[in-house]
Amino acid sequence: MNFGLNVPVIRLLIVKDWQLFQKQLAAYVLAGFAALTLLGLAKPWAFYLGSLALIVVLVAAACFAIATSLLVERKEQTLAFVMSLPVSPLDFTAAKLLGNLLTFGVPFAVLLLGTLVVILTTPLPDGLVILALLLFGHVLLAYSVSLAVAMQVESEGWNTFAMIGSMVLINPFLMAIGQIEAIQGPLRGDAIAWSLPAALILAGQLLVSAAALAGTAWWQGRKAAFY
Amino acid sequence: MTAAFAVKGLRKHYPDFALQDVDLTLPQGQVMGLVGVNGAGKTTLLRLLTGLAAPDAGSIEVLGCRLPDEQVAAKRQLGFASEDMRLYRGQSLDWHIDLVRRIYPEWDDAYARELIARFDLKPAQALGGYSHGQRVKALLLLCLSRRPRLLLLDEPTTGLDPVARAEVLETLCDVLRDEGRSVLFSSHNTHDVERLADSIGFLHQGRLVAHADKERFLDNWRRVLCLGAAPGGLDGWPELVHVRAAGSQVELKVRAWRDDLPQRLSAAGLTVQRVDPMPLEDIFVTAVRAGGAA
Repeated sequence: MNFGLNVPVIRLLIVKDWQLFQKQLAAYVLAGFAALTLLGLAKPWAFYLGSLALIVVLVAAACFAIATSLLVERKEQTLAFVMSLPVSPLDFTAAKLLGNLLTFGVPFAVLLLGTLVVILTTPLPDGLVILALLLFGHVLLAYSVSLAVAMQVESEGWNTFAMIGSMVLINPFLMAIGQIEAIQGPLRGDAIAWSLPAALILAGQLLVSAAALAGTAWWQGRKAAFY
Repeated sequence: MTAAFAVKGLRKHYPDFALQDVDLTLPQGQVMGLVGVNGAGKTTLLRLLTGLAAPDAGSIEVLGCRLPDEQVAAKRQLGFASEDMRLYRGQSLDWHIDLVRRIYPEWDDAYARELIARFDLKPAQALGGYSHGQRVKALLLLCLSRRPRLLLLDEPTTGLDPVARAEVLETLCDVLRDEGRSVLFSSHNTHDVERLADSIGFLHQGRLVAHADKERFLDNWRRVLCLGAAPGGLDGWPELVHVRAAGSQVELKVRAWRDDLPQRLSAAGLTVQRVDPMPLEDIFVTAVRAGGAA
């Protein structure tokens, strides 16, 4: 196994992915800002519409990043062009993982930050910060699992199943945390009240996300060749 | 002479296909044409030679690099274009050139501009608006302008209209004038191979059924038309790969022509009417049907 990475080419491939998708991702960010504007109105109907729109934008941005950088490239046979460049499977994995984390990570971070600012600077209860973090944590987890599947499985069917399956679980996830009094109780309050269940869930989301990506990098790094 | 590549005992198994026991060497500065029908194993062999695929058995050395372990070093020195390789439809040729130029320090900008003019490509146009022929030319431009020591081309002329095909072949002919550059290209078009290659390999069902210099191929193979009744045992002559009698005429295809063959045929009761050289396509079809070495 060769762990000597071809850093200059990896950097170029990451920039390439950013150039390819930046316009679409900027559109997702703009749509997210529209959703946040609705949230900031702090009216029940606007909160409902805004939170729904925000979830849709996050899910769409996550699916777009994975689909365009891996699934569409595979389908349109542009991956063959990338693999013909002087990169090893490990270089390619590193470029795809980091490129994806950048193309999705930037809109994700902007929208997370925007959501926290909206909650903390409008009449919305500050206790919603915990719910927002758990919601973004779920999207991050679903994205990481979907990205790991897309990196390792060529089947379009399995990839679609992984993406849609993990993303739609957001609904039962929100219902489930709504049943946990330690999380549900402080949501309407003006204090950001961390509870043990909330902290454990968020830590679990981050750990599983990191493990999925690290496991993918390790597995791909063991491969001597692409095929 | 140092080999551009050398493979020994190469095997690669897929669920529905296996490349078996391929031994092949390309001396530097030579052009080898790999002929085979679809599914013969040409793409698999080229993927192995670029390090994209790992062999199940055997060894691969390309430009002094052992593959697939040293594929990065090898890929810095080679240009690879395959029929199933596509560029980004939403981006322009200029964008692709900028990407590839930054990766390969040997990139020759003047040559790239020359090829843009020769191929009549619009570098600022998104490739989604290019025809198939223009996309192939764009891919070739990206390969050639990096000045690779070894050029690996998988079906470079497949699907091209006659004009585009002629342009691509002329450009390849120019490239081949550089004696330091080695080329392996696969095709099921024997005319292209006959025009460009110094040596020729026939791949069939994952096996290299024949490999020799082009001149040797063309010198060794003959089609002989005889008059008379085919004597028994003619099928057993080692130099004959095809014997077909139609009425009083007997058609023979010879894979190892010797000047004394007409005399031996006369002694066997056949009158030789004519002896013709065989075109490469006929040699390929005959060798594949015979299933053995040419």
